[in-house]
Amino acid sequence: MSKTIPPTCPEPATGRTYWRSLDQVSDTPEFREWLHREFPAGASELTDPVTRRHFVKIMSASFALAGVGLGLTGCRKPEEKVEPFGKQPEGYVHGVASYYATAMPTRRGAIPLVAKSHDGRPVKVEGNALHPDSNGGTDRFAQASLLNLYDPDRATKFVKGSSVTTAQAAQDFLAELSVKFTKNKGASLAFLVEPSNSPSRDRLAALVKGVMPSMGWFTHDPVDSGVHAAAASEFFGQAVTPTFRFDKADVIVSLDCDFLGSEEEVHNNIRRFSSGRRIEKPEDKLNRLYVAEGLMTLTGANADHRKRMPSSAVIKGASVIAATVGAGVGSAADLSGEDAKWFVECAKDLLANKGASLVVAGAGQPLAVHALAYAINAALGNIGKTIEFSAGASTGGTIQQLAKALDAGAVDTLVILGGNPGNTAPAELNWAAAQRKAKTVVRLSYFEQDETSAACDWQIPAAHYLESWGDARTTDGTLVPIQPLIAPLFGGMTEIEILARIAGSSVVGAYEIVRETFAGFVSGDVEGAWRKFLHDGFLAKSAAKTVSVSLKSSAVSAALSSAKATNGLEVVIRPDYSVDDGRFNNNGWMQELPDPITKFTWDNAVLVSRKTATDLGVANNDVVKITVNGRSVEGPIWVQPGQADGVLGVTLGYGRTKTGRVGTGTGFNAYTIRTSDSLHIATGAKVEKTGKTYPLSCTQEHWSMEGRAIIREANLEQFKEHPDFAKSMNLHEPPKPAGEQGVWPKPLYPNPLDAVKPSAHHQWGMSVDLNACVGCSACVIACQSENNIPIVGKDQVRRGREMQWLRLDRYYTTDKERFKPRAGAWYMPPRDEEQQYQSWIDEVQVVTQPMMCQHCESAPCESVCPVNATAHDNEGLNVMAYNRCVGTRYCSNNCPYKVRRFNFFDYNKRPIDQLYKGPFGKRKEDEWDLLKMAKNPEVTVRMRGVMEKCTFCLQRIESAKISAKVKAGAGTFDKIPTDSFTTACAQACPAGAIVFGNVADPNSKVSKLKAQSRDYSVLEFLLTKPRLTYLARVRNPNKAMPDYYEAPLSLQEYESKMGNPFESHGGGHEAGHEAAPAGHAAEKGAH
Amino acid sequence: MASDATATALPTVPKELERIPLVSNNRSPGWISDRVAGICEGKTPAWWWAAFIPSLILAGVLLCMLAYQISTGVGVWGNHHPTAWAWDIINFVWWIGIGHAGTLISAILFLLRQKWRTGVNRAAEAMTIFAVMCAGIFPAIHVGRVWFDWFLFPIPNSNSIWPQFRSPLMWDVFAVSTYFTVSLLFWYVGLVPDLAVMRDRAKSKIRQFLYGLFSLGWTGSNRHWSNYEKAYLILAGLSTPLVLSVHSIVSLDFAVSQVPGWHTTIFPPYFVAGAIFSGFGMVLTLLVPLRRWCHLEDIITMRHIDVMCKVTLATGSIVGYAYIMELFISWYSGSPFERFAFLNRIKGPYAWGYWCMMGCNVILPQLFWSKKIRENLWIVFIISILVNIGMWFERFVIIVISLHRDFLPSNWAYYLPSPVDILTYLGTFGLFFTLFLLFMRFLPMIAISEVKGVTPHADPHTVEGGAKGGHH
Repeated sequence: MSKTIPPTCPEPATGRTYWRSLDQVSDTPEFREWLHREFPAGASELTDPVTRRHFVKIMSASFALAGVGLGLTGCRKPEEKVEPFGKQPEGYVHGVASYYATAMPTRRGAIPLVAKSHDGRPVKVEGNALHPDSNGGTDRFAQASLLNLYDPDRATKFVKGSSVTTAQAAQDFLAELSVKFTKNKGASLAFLVEPSNSPSRDRLAALVKGVMPSMGWFTHDPVDSGVHAAAASEFFGQAVTPTFRFDKADVIVSLDCDFLGSEEEVHNNIRRFSSGRRIEKPEDKLNRLYVAEGLMTLTGANADHRKRMPSSAVIKGASVIAATVGAGVGSAADLSGEDAKWFVECAKDLLANKGASLVVAGAGQPLAVHALAYAINAALGNIGKTIEFSAGASTGGTIQQLAKALDAGAVDTLVILGGNPGNTAPAELNWAAAQRKAKTVVRLSYFEQDETSAACDWQIPAAHYLESWGDARTTDGTLVPIQPLIAPLFGGMTEIEILARIAGSSVVGAYEIVRETFAGFVSGDVEGAWRKFLHDGFLAKSAAKTVSVSLKSSAVSAALSSAKATNGLEVVIRPDYSVDDGRFNNNGWMQELPDPITKFTWDNAVLVSRKTATDLGVANNDVVKITVNGRSVEGPIWVQPGQADGVLGVTLGYGRTKTGRVGTGTGFNAYTIRTSDSLHIATGAKVEKTGKTYPLSCTQEHWSMEGRAIIREANLEQFKEHPDFAKSMNLHEPPKPAGEQGVWPKPLYPNPLDAVKPSAHHQWGMSVDLNACVGCSACVIACQSENNIPIVGKDQVRRGREMQWLRLDRYYTTDKERFKPRAGAWYMPPRDEEQQYQSWIDEVQVVTQPMMCQHCESAPCESVCPVNATAHDNEGLNVMAYNRCVGTRYCSNNCPYKVRRFNFFDYNKRPIDQLYKGPFGKRKEDEWDLLKMAKNPEVTVRMRGVMEKCTFCLQRIESAKISAKVKAGAGTFDKIPTDSFTTACAQACPAGAIVFGNVADPNSKVSKLKAQSRDYSVLEFLLTKPRLTYLARVRNPNKAMPDYYEAPLSLQEYESKMGNPFESHGGGHEAGHEAAPAGHAAEKGAH
Repeated sequence: MASDATATALPTVPKELERIPLVSNNRSPGWISDRVAGICEGKTPAWWWAAFIPSLILAGVLLCMLAYQISTGVGVWGNHHPTAWAWDIINFVWWIGIGHAGTLISAILFLLRQKWRTGVNRAAEAMTIFAVMCAGIFPAIHVGRVWFDWFLFPIPNSNSIWPQFRSPLMWDVFAVSTYFTVSLLFWYVGLVPDLAVMRDRAKSKIRQFLYGLFSLGWTGSNRHWSNYEKAYLILAGLSTPLVLSVHSIVSLDFAVSQVPGWHTTIFPPYFVAGAIFSGFGMVLTLLVPLRRWCHLEDIITMRHIDVMCKVTLATGSIVGYAYIMELFISWYSGSPFERFAFLNRIKGPYAWGYWCMMGCNVILPQLFWSKKIRENLWIVFIISILVNIGMWFERFVIIVISLHRDFLPSNWAYYLPSPVDILTYLGTFGLFFTLFLLFMRFLPMIAISEVKGVTPHADPHTVEGGAKGGHH
């Protein structure tokens, strides 16, 4: 990451004062008048009380911050007083961003972050690469969390009953509570909190418990993410939290565990998993992933072997594995035939990798499956090797217990800190009514209006993590600070502030609380350690110690005996890839993020397999009514390739009855059928057709790659035999002239880039490793945040007008036999809506490819632009001059990758809750004021009628260049230090699959990657010479498996259509063309 | 001629070689003037109002649609990714194509001494001008930021940014504007003698003044005629290459790109043939009813209809050949992407569009091989309309079908037009017919002086030995 060079110190205020005229000395009204006319903008700003106050309110806190932080320690003076710039703070340069280490708290940990602030506004978050358990990548939620800060539907007021009150009144009320419940020892006081591992919160909770020993402390986690820790604690007989070390495992078996997608700690899992997928040479080792699952998940999409089976049947597979590896539990007879063989072979592979294998059970699986998984891991000697344990924490009561207490009238005052139980509580608790049984409900809430707010007496606006002090532990136990970048926009409070007030503590400021907690962790120079803590963003060597554990077989067998039999259709309920449990429901970026698998935006659907759809007599977009456990919900059907038969997949977080402007009217609410005893899998569902249809907005309508060599794959064996397999799939280029050893003649119109290349400092390029990419989509949101990409709304996505510069193409592939009917010359791919009826979609492999501007050296978009709005710069970038663009869209037509995006309406100015008001529609002030603040000031906000596209984060290139030039000073500027900065997508990628850099520098990472034999460019035969090349994917299947294929399915499709690429080595299917790929490679290596 | 010529008997022409006269019923020059000028002078017929009012309303619709689209954004249309061009460019190319027949008839046929052109050239030229006006709307407004259209013109500016001369859209700007200017001049120059006729016949002061103003002081003197004919010849010479260049250049919008289905060298000649084809289709559509409603059967004779049907047949066959050649080349190229693009036209989601095009453009015009059909005005009229529908679909096939499924299947999508697309297109008909109806009501829709020049009376060698050419 680029560190901005501290600028020279501004002129000191001491010294002589000069005046310009006698008028100035006497400060006459005439002079003031003149001053006004001379500097109208600044002068007015400082004298108009209204705008000035606004200015101060928003900016001042962070200015004070910047004053002490920049270039020094990144810490903040404890004074809370904030003042406008009477005098510019030392080291502050207007327009230069500053960076602060902070962290985003998650359910089970935190994501260490570095947040970028521009003039006091946080504009981008990035992973903290310094953190010992991070590579600087994040998940998509962390990237999108920035937009939550500027959500116009945030809670902005303190509310008592239905009237607005003041912060002081709320604080007084909390003090009253403190007095009241200190007297009665907290009897009939209950807290409902979200899971958190913040040491400060733990400390304050203990403080509250100290003065109010009878208070109730309940935790509600809608997605039940603590199940891994709970299961481990049960089976190992002590409170422990497991960490799955996918990086240490050569063979990984996922029992319906979506550890790359919807589980907790996805960014760490992806980093660890893909470290075993990175491969440089054919001799390198590759891990192997087996997945048995009901829905098609990101994890299944990355599997080497995937078994589709109902989620409720996964236990049988686990049982077979357990029996085969000799775990002392399970039975090999639970499955038969092919199914049994699959798990037996899987178990054999595990046995061959004792101590270097890992079996994980999904959070949605019953305890029995977790029991089997731990038993298998124990039998394989994986405990302590690929699964590490650290001490766990107790969580308090459950929401079910709280509901019981409420129903019994045992709760007088309920304090809800965060969360939205009105929406997310299990359906049978009838939460809204239960909550109302408390006399007083106090709530710290992030949104003005939601399902919980109606039944509250006090509503206190919550502060965003970017505007509050706090602390957390990442899952490895390392202590991280949550540091504000801006004073709370709406004066929100944090849960630790509320807890401190209720505890009656004398220290109620969040900063002091956190500081006090921190002091307990260090000895000696607390101030120095604190400064370093805030600067680095973590406390070094504070990671949790691993504890050794041993399996309690009695607990395992007890869990196994409790396993329930299942029958009939089952509903599998998962958190959503986009809106999670509903907390990102009002976040436009997440709503518009195409689901990595289904590619839906703005909705969820009832996912079914083709066969199930046929059995039910339904087709895509048909609205069905699912009834399970006596509760029902209506949602549209979508046929999902690769899904298990008899499974209805639904996701949480949509269909909110009360939410903000963005989330209103999206999807259906799966919480309504979710009860405590079937939180994840509910069996015995009934499905009725309603006769209605519902349109879904999908960003990718065609499912098959149609045998085209777009994503290139081979099995490890094939890679060993043909290290340059990716290039053998090149289509032949136009024939080169004979007699000149295949050298192209000098073109009639030489590319000007070729002439400037040797003298330019850098040549930018990118490499995307398709083997490391799991398709998590963090890059898409990072790009959206960095580049001010607007959201367009569901209706516009449906019309194919989404604006994301970076998209993930996802294709389903099938085997040779099933592809054969489609390989003929006369085959025509079906209309998109007919794909759901084709039988090949039952068993598919999934391939994913990040697709953005390829920055072609000879770019087809450039020559067709009539106004010169898109052109090449001398560093090989295809640049857009937005000001010059008139919007003929010709460039988009001529772009073979179709990566250019056109702003059809003024999407930035469009009200978010409606389509388009026409020319005179205006965005509401509050919306616009806030959303403006989320914009990156280094990137133009494009208006309508302009074509836009990936720039390789030109603004980052330029600022790195400026820094390097400043550093060089009077000396000669040669080039930016190798790999000293990167693009937003590359930075966010937890897998490190995207690498950007200077291809003219042979030492850069990207040059080395491009030199690998797997390197290829998409549609190379068009001779566009993309600067973005891909590293082909290599799968690592097991020959003994019943579903083993000699070649990946995409390669089989290609072969059916184009012939075996390895036979006529050289891709061209003509004799005498052998030299082409080699020549091509040499040519590529040269730049 | 020597006086002894009278001694020898006139050679008798065998019946089967006898030419059908270009003006039938042996109409006199006076009758021609009266009949043609009469259209502008008499009482406005009811059918004119019946046609004009809806046209004017439709033109108003066009205006509203344009205002809505310009103020709101291109998003009001159905265009999307990947089909970034759709009805906007289809309509542009379609109208430009229609605008081809007029100049072809007036310039190329003039140079080739095809005298039958005189009966239809004026109306056809007017049609050309109005069609090019309709066409010109689309490239101007289809862009995202209409107010920056001037970026497309090579205007020196302080940024020293010039247009991109490699872009075919740039070439379009020059080609279309040149074509329009020359066509307009050509049309106007041809009108001058007839405007003088109108002036001389005019009864009201306003008419006298206006016709007088625009007839540029024409007296019909020998000097005027001599200059006029030179100018006309020069303009014909200038227009001739333009007929070929405009649509060639429009076709380069596609041919220069690398979209499978667009990237084809056959496009320039094939587009020109298609344009003439559709232009003649439109001339027939207009003149078949007009000759009846305006009682011009003696000037626009069945021979004219017959010849135009033959031209339609010939160009339609060229177009058909091009379609088949395209298919062959896509197969012969060996490129899977090219093959797919064409197969997708034939069998893909928009196959109905392709077969609509094939039926209307290739199969139906073949009916014109039959003389009976060429003589049946109802069938001619219907086929002429279908030809234009077919040609609209040709552009639909090229633009939408090629774009909607290109290289990466992840981009594939199905395009649907929006109501604004449809209303804008219909609106251009309103504009076209409004202008055309005004033209035929106020300007002589037949080139009076030229028609007189091709009557038997004008031929000194005929038995009638009539007028010595020119003005009455």
